[in-house]
Amino acid sequence: MTAPDSRPPALLTVRDLRTYFRTDAGVARAVDGVSFDVMPRETIGIVGESGCGKSVTSLSIMRLIRPPGTIEAGSRVEFEGRDLLALPEPEMRKIRGNRIAMIFQEPMTSLNPVFTVGEQIAEVARVHANASRKDAWDRAVEMLQLTGIPAPAQRATEYPHQLSGGMRQRVMIAMALVMDPALLIADEPTTALDVTIQAQILELLQQLQERFAMSIILITHDLGVIAEMAQRVLVMYAGEIVEQASVGELFARPHHPYTEGLLAAMPTLGEARSRLAVIPGTVPPPTRWPAGCRFHDRCRYAWERPERDHPPLFEVGPAHWSRCFLAEEPQRRTQAKDASAIAGGSA
Amino acid sequence: MSSLLSVRDLVKHFPITRGVFGRPVGAVRAVDGISFDVKQGETLGLVGESGCGKTTAGRAILRLIEPTSGQVTFDGVDVLSRDPARLRALRRRMQIVFQDPFSSLNPRMTVGAIVREGLIIHELAEGAAAHARVKQLLEEVGLRPEYATRYPHEFSGGQRQRIGIARALAVEPSFIVCDEPVSALDVSVQAQVINLLQDLQRDRGLTYLFIAHDLSVVEHVATRVAVMYLGHIVELAGAEDLYAEPFMPYTQALLSAVPIPDPQKRKQRIVLTGDVPSPANPPPGCPFHPRCHHPAKDAACARITPPLETKADGHLAACIKQPPTRITWEEQLAAGATHRPERYVPLALAARS
Amino acid sequence: MMLVRWALAIALSAAVAAAVGRLWARMGAGGGPWGTALARLRRDRGGMVALHFLLFVATVALFARWLAPFDPNVQLDIINLASRPPSVAHPFGTDIYSRDVLSRVVHGTRISLSVACLAILLSITVGTAYGTSAGYLGGRADAVMMRVIDALLSIPRILMLLAIFALWGRVSLGALVLILGLTGWFATSRLVRAQVLSLKTEEMVVAARALGARHRRIVWRHILPGVTSTVVVAATLGIGNVIILEAGLSFLGVGVQPPTASWGNIISDGASNVAGLWWMSLFPGLAIVLTVMAFNIIGDALRDALDPREIQPA
Repeated sequence: MTAPDSRPPALLTVRDLRTYFRTDAGVARAVDGVSFDVMPRETIGIVGESGCGKSVTSLSIMRLIRPPGTIEAGSRVEFEGRDLLALPEPEMRKIRGNRIAMIFQEPMTSLNPVFTVGEQIAEVARVHANASRKDAWDRAVEMLQLTGIPAPAQRATEYPHQLSGGMRQRVMIAMALVMDPALLIADEPTTALDVTIQAQILELLQQLQERFAMSIILITHDLGVIAEMAQRVLVMYAGEIVEQASVGELFARPHHPYTEGLLAAMPTLGEARSRLAVIPGTVPPPTRWPAGCRFHDRCRYAWERPERDHPPLFEVGPAHWSRCFLAEEPQRRTQAKDASAIAGGSA
Repeated sequence: MSSLLSVRDLVKHFPITRGVFGRPVGAVRAVDGISFDVKQGETLGLVGESGCGKTTAGRAILRLIEPTSGQVTFDGVDVLSRDPARLRALRRRMQIVFQDPFSSLNPRMTVGAIVREGLIIHELAEGAAAHARVKQLLEEVGLRPEYATRYPHEFSGGQRQRIGIARALAVEPSFIVCDEPVSALDVSVQAQVINLLQDLQRDRGLTYLFIAHDLSVVEHVATRVAVMYLGHIVELAGAEDLYAEPFMPYTQALLSAVPIPDPQKRKQRIVLTGDVPSPANPPPGCPFHPRCHHPAKDAACARITPPLETKADGHLAACIKQPPTRITWEEQLAAGATHRPERYVPLALAARS
Repeated sequence: MMLVRWALAIALSAAVAAAVGRLWARMGAGGGPWGTALARLRRDRGGMVALHFLLFVATVALFARWLAPFDPNVQLDIINLASRPPSVAHPFGTDIYSRDVLSRVVHGTRISLSVACLAILLSITVGTAYGTSAGYLGGRADAVMMRVIDALLSIPRILMLLAIFALWGRVSLGALVLILGLTGWFATSRLVRAQVLSLKTEEMVVAARALGARHRRIVWRHILPGVTSTVVVAATLGIGNVIILEAGLSFLGVGVQPPTASWGNIISDGASNVAGLWWMSLFPGLAIVLTVMAFNIIGDALRDALDPREIQPA
């Protein structure tokens, strides 16, 4: 496995992360050998479809995996020079919500319905900073103001159900940023929101990133959100990173057939109306990843080699890695395209 | 092309009730007087954010929800007629495909029984003939015929959506309401289902009302697009016109909010402030005026409910400040106007098109 | 001779259990939500033990005539055999009239079990019909129907029963079943109605309406199958209650009328004697406790196995 070289000052280093779930149906290798770095102040996007392992990756970094899931031995997660997987649980609790914070897709289920939002934000400050009740409350109101909630002192006294979806996500962000974390993990933060509200939240995240000088891991299935937010992108498929590049490089020159397929399958605003390209088939269940290249049975270029061998990550451009043998046999791409053009022409 | 479906002043208010015997104390104005036509063979996109009334509109047209008032005519037949036999006959011709591929299929029925149900209800086929027809339908939507004996929970979201489409096709409808048919699916599967719907439309000459919140998907499939906001249609135009030059400030903001999967095209964006008001307590006048950024917005916007009127050829919008408008300047002055109507295309969109 | 018959009874109940097990295995293999649920139930240890026990009790009830060593109503020897503690000839002892208690318990099983089962059958039928109607009709009809249920539920059942018996006095077995059944469906109807309300709005039901399905078809194909699991669980848990209720009424002398034996009136016969014939309360008491417990265990196991969230795996 040729993991990308880590440039020295990485904030978070993930190496060969494996998270398996041992279920009745077999061992689900949800995350299977994932390595990447997050630089200070960087936004890194993790994109992939449901079941690709992107959320399990983030939960593993936070060590929030519950049985039957386990993080396998040999996995390494280093954050600010500390090995998170080796920390005792009380130490880890001091990092969660403090140095690394997390926001989720559905804020309603992460907020406690019986406390006011102000109390819940203040609670974080009281737990992690031993702040007095008064200071913590002031901090909560200040955070609500920072997240652009009008009349924050008033809103702090309200309960989650009194707020709209967009407001609740702002509350979640306020709660996540109380302790000025170095890393924010945002797991599908705008998926449940309408597009105009999504625009508000994305803009807010960008502003707050500047202000708090934090790194963001943005997990999403929406390539549009990735293009607007991230500097670097990891594309995940079947528990693995299949492509990694800067955002400009990835969208301009996608290398992996899966990335290529995703981009072609998406209807894009303002583009010519043509038939959408499809990726045939569906994501296989995590207990039965195909042998060889895990994408080969859905790939338009597949030949014998990926059916047999599991491809490593190849460097295909500056800071651009792809888990595909096309890196070594690029002529197959053009051949396949010519062939399909001929087939299309004769049909 | 003639209209297959015509909707006039359709209204659906859900009463808000209180007390043990359900005394009405107010109403959620989910659909508040919408009118449009769907032409034979076209796809009319119906877009809007959650709570705008688009799903209610789709179901009221099929009378799956009883409309409060209005007229719906399908191929010359009054859909809101009191005659149950006539309604059942219409059900054969108007079908629906749902968003949620999990709750829309009965978990206790086999795929075959689900697809067969329409055949049996309308006595289209029985026994071996029905069996053969089910297999044929499954093949048509890209599923293996032997899946007929399996249960829905054995299938992925995309496959279940295909089962739902086969169920709708069984009665050979000419019109299908597609209610967010792809929004629960992953991108790669979404493309498969969109292509399937388009192929079926081409092969069977179907007419679609395509309800969605995803503007990119609607641009891809729709011939014409209607934009809903708080129970009103605020803009209605050919897809190309609407996406190239939206007239309504709301449509402009909606389009500019869509993230584009191309980092080179970082665009300026109109970010709307605040949330959509509650349909139980909508603002007076133009439903969008509290969040509107039109430079000519003034007091008249809060007083006059703008009619959906033709602004350009085949392009309708509901804005008294976007000329031409039949609400005269005198009428606007009387309602407290301070700004004359003026055309407005924000920079963000001018740059894009 | 008697021992052989009992051994045969045990063997028969075990054979039935095995046959049922094979049938399940076949249903489970066929896929389908019910098959999966039954397969899950088979893995429930406690549930399976309880089921075996109940099959045995059912066999005893069915073949009471062959399994009882004596006629339950015959006074064997009023001079020498009255009020005898358990012995080899009379394993459960005899009562004050020198009747064999084992024989009375065996025949009582038949009465108690059939009264309880028939009463539950009646009450879930009525409850399901009423609850489905209220939930499916909705609106004003639902509101009125549910207020009626609220009113009926506010009267304690035992009070209602005592009032009825005060009016009619001694009743026949058929009337007892009717009375127990018709006073036990209120809670079931509420449960069913709540389930129907949520099923009614599910997209699968909307889809059936869109296809032009008539109400009867929607109710039978799409609504009732959805409430079956709730009803089955409610019925299984309810049987235990009815057994206890019937025993209590018979104990009080208003339920099953002597000389017909039921678990409740055997205890009552023993308790009315100042000498304190412990065997006369112990054995029918044990029968009640074990049977009710078994029904409750199965009810819980069924509830776990039929959990609708589990029926629809993602």
